[in-house]
Amino acid sequence: MKRLQALFFVCITLAVGNAQAKTIEMKVNGLVCAFCAQGIEKTMKSFAETSFVLVNLAHQLVAVELKADADISDARLNVAITEAGYSLVSITRTENSVSDLSARIAAAEQADE
Amino acid sequence: MFSVKRAAAAFAAGCALSFSAQAKPIAFGKGTTVMAEYGAGTMNEVQAFYAPHYWYSLGGAWLSLSSDGGEKSRHISTLRANVLAKRWNYPAAQANVFAWGGIGLATGNDFSGSQLSRNIGVQADYETRWIYASLRSDLVEAKAFSHRIDSVQLGFAPYAHEYGGLATWLVLQGRSYTGGIYDGVEAALLLRLFKGGTWVEAGVSSDGKLQAMAMFNF
Repeated sequence: MKRLQALFFVCITLAVGNAQAKTIEMKVNGLVCAFCAQGIEKTMKSFAETSFVLVNLAHQLVAVELKADADISDARLNVAITEAGYSLVSITRTENSVSDLSARIAAAEQADE
Repeated sequence: MFSVKRAAAAFAAGCALSFSAQAKPIAFGKGTTVMAEYGAGTMNEVQAFYAPHYWYSLGGAWLSLSSDGGEKSRHISTLRANVLAKRWNYPAAQANVFAWGGIGLATGNDFSGSQLSRNIGVQADYETRWIYASLRSDLVEAKAFSHRIDSVQLGFAPYAHEYGGLATWLVLQGRSYTGGIYDGVEAALLLRLFKGGTWVEAGVSSDGKLQAMAMFNF
């Protein structure tokens, strides 16, 4: 019985771990210039949970790759974007890394050309 | 509460101004902006601001104005506050209204000693990754003089830049001076480049004089 409980606990832990987002992708209005991007990047890097930040002006995208087992709540993200002077449109959590995301954007842009 | 704070800051800013370069007087929260401009021999300016928050910044400016023949010259040092009065964020565009004000000391070659000066101004701009437009009005006054500079800038980007890459803009500028500094409208064509936190622009005015500006945000 104890073995069964331990196995159940391990399964739940793995499931939660897998469900944990690795990267937070945010759609942000008002992102049009390098200084906008610089300000948002600085803000997002100030979170202890942040590992990498990607700002893409063409897609109005701010992506924050999180450190292991870390997360930033939607409420904190909303405050951070608003307090930086921009408007948060949507938040999506994905398993992709920021480098995966960069590669995907580059491929899409190449395909458009 | 936020709007009350902003209104109070706007009121404080409504006390004076300086003739700043036509960049935004606030880049981003917790950011420092340093600007220097050489304006076709008519004006030179250096400014430094720190923005505790994205909607206001505080700092100082030094401005020099000189008429064509040198009959009139002004040197004005100003302590200044800038306020982002309103911002509109769109999916691929941004519009802003800035106001600023300050007080300082002015010296000139047609009055003696130094005089208390006041400065007030407003700027409205609209920007996408392809076009830029701004209107600006800037007033500096002392007992001995009153100068206003009204500027319009229209910019076009030949390609849409991405963060981390080089942004290139072609900017047409018109500037009108009052107070006997320059007669008529001084037009200039500028090439503006920025990358990361560095912005440089240079061009020529309609009478063939150099105009240049550099700005650093960090």
